[in-house]
Amino acid sequence: MRLPEVTRSVTFRWGLAVAGIYVLFVLALFAAIYWQTNRYLTVRSDEVVTKQAEVLARADAHELIDTVNLLPRQNPRRVEHAGLFAADGRRMAGDIAGIPPGLALDGIAQAAMILAGLDTPVAQAVRAAGRRLPGGEVLVIGRNVDEIVEISAIVGETLAAGLLPALFLSVAVGMLLSLRAQRRVAEVNRSVQRIVAGDLRQRLPARGSEDPFDRLAAIVNGMLERIEALIQEIAGVGDDIAHDLRTPLTRMRVALERGRANARSLDEARTVIDRAIAGLDQSLAIVTALLRIAEIEHTRRLAGFSDVALADIVREVCDLYEPIAEEKGVRLSVDLAARPIVQGDRDLLLEAVANLADNAIKFTPAGGNVELGLLSRDGESVVRVGDTGPGISEAERDLVVRRFYRSDRSRQSRGVGLGLSLVMAIVKLHGFGLTLTSGPGLVAEIVCPPAAGATRRNES
Amino acid sequence: MPKLLLIEDDRETADEIVAEFTDLGFDVTWAATGIEGLDQARAGKPDAMIVDRLLPGMDGLTIVEALRKEQMRTPVLVLSALGAVDDRVRGLRAGGDDYLTKPFELVELIARVDALLRRPVDNRDTKLRVGPLELDLIERTAKRGDRSVELLPREFRLLEYMMQRKDQVLTRAMLLEEVWKYKFVPQTNLVDVHMGRLRRKIDEPNEPPMIHNVRGVGFVLRAPA
Repeated sequence: MRLPEVTRSVTFRWGLAVAGIYVLFVLALFAAIYWQTNRYLTVRSDEVVTKQAEVLARADAHELIDTVNLLPRQNPRRVEHAGLFAADGRRMAGDIAGIPPGLALDGIAQAAMILAGLDTPVAQAVRAAGRRLPGGEVLVIGRNVDEIVEISAIVGETLAAGLLPALFLSVAVGMLLSLRAQRRVAEVNRSVQRIVAGDLRQRLPARGSEDPFDRLAAIVNGMLERIEALIQEIAGVGDDIAHDLRTPLTRMRVALERGRANARSLDEARTVIDRAIAGLDQSLAIVTALLRIAEIEHTRRLAGFSDVALADIVREVCDLYEPIAEEKGVRLSVDLAARPIVQGDRDLLLEAVANLADNAIKFTPAGGNVELGLLSRDGESVVRVGDTGPGISEAERDLVVRRFYRSDRSRQSRGVGLGLSLVMAIVKLHGFGLTLTSGPGLVAEIVCPPAAGATRRNES
Repeated sequence: MPKLLLIEDDRETADEIVAEFTDLGFDVTWAATGIEGLDQARAGKPDAMIVDRLLPGMDGLTIVEALRKEQMRTPVLVLSALGAVDDRVRGLRAGGDDYLTKPFELVELIARVDALLRRPVDNRDTKLRVGPLELDLIERTAKRGDRSVELLPREFRLLEYMMQRKDQVLTRAMLLEEVWKYKFVPQTNLVDVHMGRLRRKIDEPNEPPMIHNVRGVGFVLRAPA
């Protein structure tokens, strides 16, 4: 059953409530119109009868009789009645059968019931004015107020003609809106059910209109997009972990197995065990690096940010890596063209720059250069680490910041391929940017927009 | 025989640690719950404690805080699977003396417990001496015997730290944390390279070596026999 469900919906109830309020409003409006019209007509009738009574009272006796006889015939709608009565109440002229009981003879208009009519007298409600003439006769002028009753009937008819369709319309619109809303909810529900069932590519339906439902759908879809990306990333990471851990684990297993079968002395056994331990260390290093990235990504410790002099960090990294570069025959130089101070976490920024330097030195062949630079560009502070190594192809640049991705060049080198993802996590946490471009080799830049850290800090 | 109290709920981990330290000549007591651990700490007066943070129904830090309130100064190493910098800071602030994140290597744990048991004496002397090696903390100069050794500031820092902890095995992570204030382990063998340079300056080919590599663990500075 569709209908009862519709009538239970909030939209429909709201529709009904609005319709009810509308009806009350229209009723009040029509009542006001009726009351105003009634008052206006009464006042006008009163004016007319009073005036006529006054004018006639001043006329001659025989002229008066003629006028009183004439008056009911003169007005085409037969709404005016007149009567002239002798002092004893006998009718002398006019169409009013008798002096209405209770009529004050002071010339002021008031409501009265009279029996009047040219052919057959009928009882009717009038506004009447009565006057006693100097000769003792009584003059009564009456004006029918059936008009007012007619008008109220017209008003009532109009009311019915206007109100009923309006009421019907409100209920219909209420039901329609409610049905529409229910249909949208049902659509959304179907989409959500599919998402829950595992189809993460599913999105909430949008109709391209700008209604609240569409805007809500757009917001939720944005969220779904992000969730999908995250879940895919996690799935990808899971695969990567499995792959990267399987390699050393398999190697260890083979080594241990062969060692167990072939080792003839304790020393030989030790050699095998040492290799196994080295493999385990590598596996643990992967796990540690992953945990570290997860930790940074989940850090919301922005309140702990403080002023960090980037120059100090660059100098410290240089100090730390100089011997390593020298050992490898790589020239490490520092160029501090600016000395910016940013809002951030010193330890994390040091870790990021150290990772970039580590990577640069690792991939630069002997005789090459690695330059650590600090510069200011378009109001932004830039930490630049450039090398003369093989660089990264454009196609790979997005991939290298993903967890575990190692370009072919790094497959031949040691390390667990998490360095750049780690830098990316730190840079994101600070609201900075990381760009990779081609110089002679690879140029990695951490771009710090002015006061990016500070804004982030205010948010927390 | 130093007395060591281990508060750790995971039986396998605990067995490994107990076995290793017993082999090294420690008198190890194991407590599997926080309550038991607290009782043992009060009654047994251990020389050092290893406290796991994630105990059933209790944060290991609560134990450390309780003991510190009772004016118990026993050095404590906090073990945790929680690696966040925040957790580390909280661990040290609660009264822990060192913090080690799981998974860890046993040698790392041993070196750190060893370091806790021999905290460097607060030496007011402005000169450090180990065998023929002499370090002048005011003049910032180093000598081995009569030979003066030219050191870069970073090498001086490293040597100073090692001389304050002579005969003690120092792991790479410990050196990075203490000498370079690095809270992470870089991929390259940074410490080895720095140590290699320092060693070339301290131990010349004709001299008996003082800086020794402890395989799979780290380094140690010893006076020549």
